[in-house]
Order: sequence, then structure tokens, then C-alpha cells
Amino acid sequence: MFFKKSIIALTGLFLCIFLIVHLSANCILLLPKDIARDLYNSYSTTLRESLFIKIIAYVLYLSILLHVVYALLITLRNRKAKSQHYSINNFRENSSWASQNMGLLGVIILLFILVHLANFWARIKLGIGENIGLDANGHVNVYEVTYGLFQNIYFVMFYTVLMIPLGLHLNHGLKSAFMTLGFYHKKGLRILAKTSLIYATIMTVGFGIIPFILFFK
Amino acid sequence: MKVTFKIWRQENAKTKGDFKSYEVYDLTKDMSFLEALDHLNELLVERDEKTIAFEYDCREGICGQCCLFINGRAHGPHSNMTTCQLHMRSFKDGETIVVEPWRATAFPVIKDLVIDRSSLDRIIEQGGYINAKTGTAPEANAILISKSIADKAMDAAACIGCGACVATCKNSSAALFTSAKINHLNSLPQGHQEASTRVLKMARQMELEGFGSCTFTGACEVECPEHISIINIAEMNVRRLKAKWFE
Repeated sequence: MFFKKSIIALTGLFLCIFLIVHLSANCILLLPKDIARDLYNSYSTTLRESLFIKIIAYVLYLSILLHVVYALLITLRNRKAKSQHYSINNFRENSSWASQNMGLLGVIILLFILVHLANFWARIKLGIGENIGLDANGHVNVYEVTYGLFQNIYFVMFYTVLMIPLGLHLNHGLKSAFMTLGFYHKKGLRILAKTSLIYATIMTVGFGIIPFILFFK
Repeated sequence: MKVTFKIWRQENAKTKGDFKSYEVYDLTKDMSFLEALDHLNELLVERDEKTIAFEYDCREGICGQCCLFINGRAHGPHSNMTTCQLHMRSFKDGETIVVEPWRATAFPVIKDLVIDRSSLDRIIEQGGYINAKTGTAPEANAILISKSIADKAMDAAACIGCGACVATCKNSSAALFTSAKINHLNSLPQGHQEASTRVLKMARQMELEGFGSCTFTGACEVECPEHISIINIAEMNVRRLKAKWFE
């Protein structure tokens, strides 16, 4: 159980780092249209052709898989540890809602990831759906796929609203991953709690606002 | 004052329990919660009904025997307090007070509100002590321990083993209890000899008893009557990692 918890923490931290890189790349989309298209398409071509990124991509798939499977196994075991639920439980008086519902938040994020993969990964990597053209430099026009998707207000709403559960999950997950791995410095933990909040806020606002900006661009 | 107690009644571990309501009229605000239950039991005796079984010992907040889940909180509505230190002035006149036993697979109900917490004792049996023969009380300064370490060990040693941490935890994790017991002994020179076997064996027993794992909701440290910090769990984790991989 402890091994599984440590793996959940380690994979979670790796995914946190991944999100920073992901958001940084998304910021390219905020540039003026022509520059954004060139830069974004050449960036995605570089990623697709790099062996290093290929390895990192497999580490990423494995991380998500281990994070989900082990979290599921731990949750099932934890449920067994509570033989019967209380008829009244005022848990909001002693803990945050997010910390009590990490599993639910995780399921929502997983559903988001599936839709997200269908929107981009399936189209670009697997070639499912409409044919994607090339841009002036001969790169696959990933920018157009992104821009096109966020002309649909429903997708904009979906991508924005679901960043809230992500933020809640990250805020609790980041600090508790460190604690699971044994970080117990008192002052350090106070700084960590603040860092988690700032990190989660940046991720939620950052990922959430870009689709909106593209919609009105 | 008048209150309605809605109390969990269960004959024994094998039978199914249920809530039963009791209206009690002549209570005073300065009665302790356990005195109010005593009073209810007296009324039940007079009515020739079965009394409600609940646990207590010192009624001074130091023994860790009282263990009630009151109105959705372990040890009642206040944080960091034992059930016996709770008074009726914390409730409104005419209020319905729901009283349940602590729920955890590792804490089976014995009768009504009494639960079996021997799973915590079995964790202690795995190393919550030192093996060295200590003889009579030694001279206080024979082993020098810095103030900061002495304070830290004392803070962890304060755990009274009431099990509120397990009761309030959504995973019924005994991590706060076990970590307090481990850190208490492992921070002191007397505990160093068995430091790594202690952490491995006690943590292993915690899992064997069917307690869940810690997800750091932080509920335990809010309900702990002895203010034991959740940081202890993180420290236990690093001790566990060290013992497992490096020793």
C-alpha cells in the first residue's frame, strides 16, 4: 500500500512538471495569429520528431496509467477500511472538500483527458477525422486544429470549466505528494502549501483562459 | 434544558444496529456530555429498559477511553477535545444530538457505542516500546537530549490512543496514531537501537489490521485531543522509506 502511495505521489509530481511545460507551450497561442501559427506548428513538429520527447511521451502515458490504476486500487482498499458511513458527517469542519474528494476530481480529470486526447491526439497522431493540411512552412497545421476547436463555444466552456476540478486536484495533490514522500520540514510545508495554491491557480487560470482568448481572437 | 438524543443501539458485533431516539428534559447546561448520558441511563433503569453502553475512564481528558461521534464530529463539535470535556452548554435547548460509535473496519462495535480498539494495541506490540532493560529511574542528565528533540518527542508521546484520528479519517487510516508512536521513540537515543525495525513492523501491522492509507485530508489533526500534528505522518513516511531502502 505504501509502495503504491509513493508511486501515486511520484507520478503525480511528474504530471505536475508536465503541466508546466504544456501551459508554457499553450502560451504561444496568445501571440498574433501569423506568428502563433508558425511557432506553434514548428514547435509541434519538433516534438513529434524528437526521440527524447518520444521517450518522455511514453513515460507520460505510463505515469497517467500508474497514477490512475494505483489510485483506484488504494481507493477501493480505503473504502473497505470504513465499514459503515456515519449518518451525519460534518467533514467540512475539519478538512477541505477537495481533499475529501480527490477520487471524484480524478475521475472528472480523466474524462477530460479522454476528450482532450480525442480532440488532438487522435486527430494529429492517429489521423482520425478530417484531414489536417500543412502550413506555409510544410509543418502539420496543428494551430488550425486548435483554433478551429475553440471556435465552438461548447468546447470553450468544456475546456474552461473542467480546469476548476484540475486546480482543486492539483492544490491538494501537490502538497500531499511531498508529504507522502516524506517531506516534513515545518516551515517548508507552510511554503509548500502556498506554492501549491499558487501553482494550482496559475494552471487553472492559464489553461482555462486560453480557449476563451482563441474564441474571441 | 431539553434535548433529543438519537443514539446508535446495537446488541453485539453480530447483530445489526439502528438509531433510537430518547427525549431528556431535566438536563442543565453545566452537565458534561457523559453526565447527560449517565442521566439518560438512570431514566432507562427506572423504565426497566436496557442502558446505553458507552466507554469512559478518567473523565479528565487524559486517558483516551471516551470515544463518541457526536453530530458528525469525532468527540463532538469542538476541535482538539475529548468527549468527556464536552459540556451540554455546547448544544442548543431542544436540539437533536446524534451519537454514533466510531466507524472503522478495524474498530468493530462491541455493544451500542463501545468499540474494540485492540487493533491499536497490536500496532504497539510490534515495537511501540524499547527492548533495553532500563532498571530504576536513571539520573536525569545521564543521556543528554537537546530541548528541541525532547519537545518533539514529548509532543508525539502525548497521543492518548483514543482513535479519533481513525474515526474522522475518510479512509479510517491509523497513520497519525502510528506515526506519533514511532516518532516519539525514534527521535530519542533510547529508541535508536530498534529504529528501523520499529517503523517497518508497526507500519506493516497498521496495514494488516485493515486501516486505510493516509491521503492528508488533515481531519485527524483537527480532531486529535492532543494536537498531534499531521507532519508526524510525513516524518513516518521518510523513516519508512529510509528503513526500507537504505538500511
